[in-house]
Amino acid sequence: MLDTIIKYLKSSGVYGWEVNDVKTNGWEFYFIRHELDQHRAKNVEHINVKVYQQSEDGGSIGFAIAEIAPTASERDIEKLVSGLAYRATLVENRPFTLTPPVEGNTSEGKASDIADISADFIRTMSELPETEGEDINSYEIFTSDVSHRLITSTGIDYTEHYPSSMIEVIVNARHGEHEIELYRSYYSGTCDASGLKRDLVRTMNYGRDRLIAKPTPVNGKINVLFSGENACQIYNYFSERMNAALVYRQMSDYEIGKPICEEFTGDRVTVKALRELANSSENHAFDAEGAVIRDVVMIEDGVAKQFLGGRMFSFYLGLENSFNPNNIEVTGGTRTEEELRVGRYLEAVEFSDFQVDEITGDIFGEIRLAYLHDGDQTTPVTGGSISGSMNDFVGSMLMSKNSAQYNSMKIPALTLFRNVTVTGAEN
Amino acid sequence: MKAPFSDYLTGVKSGLKEMIAILRKEYDYVSVLATDSCGLATRISQRSRSVSGETMTTERGIVVRVCNNGQYAEYAFNKFDPTAPEKAAMEIQGALEAQLIMLRLAGVKSYDTPLLPDEEQTLFVEKETQQLPETADVEALVKKLGAISDKAMSLSEHAIECIVSAQSTHICKMFLTENRDLCQSYVYSEGAIFFVVNREGNSQVAYENVSGLCGPELFDGLEGKLDKVVTTAAELLDAERIEPGEYEIIASPEVTGLIAHEAFGHGVEMDMFVKNRALGKDYIGKRVGSDKCTMHEGALCAENVTSYAFDDEGTLAGDVTEIDHGILKTGICDALSALRLGVQPTGNGKRENFEHKVYTRMTNTMFDSGEDSLEDMISSISYGYLLEGMESGMEDPKHWGIQCIIKMGREIKDGRFTGKVVAPIIMTGYVPDLLGGISMLSPHREVFGSGGCGKGCKEWVKVADGGPYLKTKARLG
Repeated sequence: MLDTIIKYLKSSGVYGWEVNDVKTNGWEFYFIRHELDQHRAKNVEHINVKVYQQSEDGGSIGFAIAEIAPTASERDIEKLVSGLAYRATLVENRPFTLTPPVEGNTSEGKASDIADISADFIRTMSELPETEGEDINSYEIFTSDVSHRLITSTGIDYTEHYPSSMIEVIVNARHGEHEIELYRSYYSGTCDASGLKRDLVRTMNYGRDRLIAKPTPVNGKINVLFSGENACQIYNYFSERMNAALVYRQMSDYEIGKPICEEFTGDRVTVKALRELANSSENHAFDAEGAVIRDVVMIEDGVAKQFLGGRMFSFYLGLENSFNPNNIEVTGGTRTEEELRVGRYLEAVEFSDFQVDEITGDIFGEIRLAYLHDGDQTTPVTGGSISGSMNDFVGSMLMSKNSAQYNSMKIPALTLFRNVTVTGAEN
Repeated sequence: MKAPFSDYLTGVKSGLKEMIAILRKEYDYVSVLATDSCGLATRISQRSRSVSGETMTTERGIVVRVCNNGQYAEYAFNKFDPTAPEKAAMEIQGALEAQLIMLRLAGVKSYDTPLLPDEEQTLFVEKETQQLPETADVEALVKKLGAISDKAMSLSEHAIECIVSAQSTHICKMFLTENRDLCQSYVYSEGAIFFVVNREGNSQVAYENVSGLCGPELFDGLEGKLDKVVTTAAELLDAERIEPGEYEIIASPEVTGLIAHEAFGHGVEMDMFVKNRALGKDYIGKRVGSDKCTMHEGALCAENVTSYAFDDEGTLAGDVTEIDHGILKTGICDALSALRLGVQPTGNGKRENFEHKVYTRMTNTMFDSGEDSLEDMISSISYGYLLEGMESGMEDPKHWGIQCIIKMGREIKDGRFTGKVVAPIIMTGYVPDLLGGISMLSPHREVFGSGGCGKGCKEWVKVADGGPYLKTKARLG
C-alpha cells in the first residue's frame, strides 16, 4: 500500500511530500463498579499524506492533506494524489524548505504486550482500598501498541514503536443519601500502578471532603494555591506562547532574550522541552514532520530563550533544528511547601474545567473543591469560581522547589497566584 | 440534489452480510456499522493557508458488535476484504477470544445485559444538498475566504490576524444485522471567522460562525458575519472585568444553547443513569425548572450538523421532550443503556468514529421559544447583563453544577443598555436554580452547530444546540 502511494507521489512532480503511517493494535475494557460492561479490540491503520507544491517563480508554497484509506484501490490512490497536487497549488504560503533527514537511528522501540498492560490496569483497580463511603463508580481502560512510520520526499524514513495507555476513573463519595463524584483521566505509556493508586486514594479523600464542603464564602481577591494537575494548564500557557506558530502570527509577544513579563516580584519559570519523561505517553524520537526531538531550554529564569514549533513557522522565524515539543518540564520554584502555605489562602484542588487562554491570558474555573486555609483553620469549600488574567500573575507567582509529573508534564508541585478574583457561592 | 450514498459501502455490503452470517453461528447477536465519510477543510489566514480532506468526522472503517451470554464486545478495523469474509470473521473471533482469556485469568465478572432486538427493517436515505465537499470548487472557496480575511484586516487598526475556516463533510453510514439494512447519506457544513486584535498588549479574539445540514453553499453566508465580528473585537478591547455576583441575565440564543447543552443535555444522558452518575434519574416527573421551561432533544428537533436518519446503533432518529413546562419527563438513551433501564432507545447512540464505543450523546438540544419580545426582556431588568458568545461549558450531572464560559456581557441598568461591556464571563451555579429562574423567553429561536462535545474529556462528537433569548438569574464572575 505504502509503496503504491509513494510511487504516485514520486511520479506526480510535486515539490515535496510526507507520509505518516500509524498502525494501532488496541484493547479497551469498560467497567461499571468492577463488573465488565464491554470489551473492545481494534486493529487499524491510518495513512496521512501531505503534498507540497511550489509556485513556478518559487515565491510561494502550498500544501494539501488527506487520509488515504488502507482499502483504497490503486486508481483511488492515483486520483487522490493528483487531487492533492492540484489543491496544494491553490493555497499560497511564504516559501520554506522541508525537514531534512538526520543521520543516526531510523528505528526505535519494540512491540508492547497490551495483554500484560491491560492486566496490570485491571489488577491495580481491583486492589484499591475502597470503603463504604468512598469507592469506584466506573472506569475505562485503553491500551495500545502503536507503530508509526514517517517517510518524506527529503529522504526521511523513521519508524518507532511505543505503548500508549489511558484510564478514565469515576470516584464516588457518599454520606447517607448524599453522593458526589470526582473525575480522573490518566495518560501514560504503560500502567503506573503505584502512581495510579496514590492519586486515586487522594481523590477518594477529596471526595470525602467535598461531601462536607461549605459554599465558597469569598467574594473578592485572595491568594490561590494550585496543588494538582490543573496547574498543567498554567504551565502549558508558557510553552504555547513559545510556539513558533503563535509567535509568527503575533498572537504571542514573547521575544528571545527578553523577560516574559515587565517586572518579577516572585519566582521565574524555566521551561524545557524534553525528549523523554519517565513513562510519558509522548516519548517520541521525531515529530510528524520528521524533525528530531531533543532536550531544549525554551524559557530560562523568566527569559525567552528558544521558540519551537512546526517546520513552516519555525522556518519563517529562522529557527534551526526546531520541532514540535511533546514533553515539558518546568522548574524555577524557590519555596518549600511550608513557605507557600502561609496566611489566608484558597487551595484549589478540583475544578469543573480549569482553563488558561494562551492568546488572551484569561483564566477560569468553577470550583468543585477547594480548601480555605486561615492560620490553623482549614475549611473545605465548593462552588463559585476563580477568574483573572495571566498578565497579572506571571510576575508575582510563586512555585515549590519539589515537582510532580502528570504524564507529559513535570511541573512544580505547588503554584501560588496572588490576589485572584473569586466569585463565592454563598447566597 | 441528493447526497449520493458511498460506492465503497455499496461494494462491501454483500461481503459484510456474509461475515455477519458466519459470526452469527458463534454469537447470539451480531451487528456491523460501516462508515465512509469524506470531507473538505479550508483554513485561510493572513499568515498561513491550508486545504485538507480531513474534518472532525471523516472516516472509513467498520465496527462489529457481538454478544454472547449477556456480554457485549466490539472489534473495529479498516482493512476489510469483501471477497474474504471468513478471514475477517476469524480475525474478529481471535482478537475477542484473546481478550476473554486475559479477563478469565484476571477473574473479572461480567455485567449481564439483555440481547438487543433484531427486527426486520430497511431504510435508504439520501438527504438534499446543493453541493458536495468532494466536488466543491476549492479554488473559488479559497479566494472567498481569503477576501473575507483581507477585508477584516482592513476594518480595524488593531487587527493582527483573521482566520477564516470552512469545513464540509459528506457522511455515509451503513448499519447491518441479520435482519436490518439501513443506509444514510447527508452533508453538513460549518464555517467560522476568528478575528484577533491587540492594543497595547491586550489581545482579544472575536468569532462568528455558521453551520447547517447542507453543503459548501453554506459558506456564502460567512461574509455576512464580518461586520459583527469586527465590532465585537473592538468592544472586547474596551471591555472591563465584571464585579462578581448574582445578576439578572438575558442569555442570547447561543448562550441559551450552551445552558441547554450543559444543564439538561449531559444531565439526562441515560448511560449515566445506568452507572448512577446523574441526579436526573431520581427527578423524572419532578420540577427542575420554571413553568416557562420546555426543552427538546433529538436528531429530528432541528436541521443542523447532527440531524441524521439513524444513530450509530441503527436506532431511528427521534425527538424527545425532556422538560415540559418545568417538569423533567425523560432523558435520552442509547440502545444498550435502554435495555438495562427497561426503556426505549431514543436514537442518541453515537460514536466519535468507528473506532470508538457508543455512548448516549446529544444531537440537537433546544429550549422551546416563548412570547416575550427582546425589548420587553431588556426593559424588565433593573441591573443585569445581556450575555453573548459561547466559549465552552462543563457539567456535573451528579451534583447539578454548571460552568459556562461566555465571551461578553452588555450591562443593563433600569431597563436600558449602559454601553458598558464586560468580558470574559464565567457563569456558575446550580442547574435547578438557573432553570427555575427562567421568567421570559423570546419567540426568536436559533440553532448553533459549530464545535464539538466531549464526554468527560474525550469522545468528541458533533452536536447542535440553541433556543431563544432567555431571561433568568445567574452567578457571574
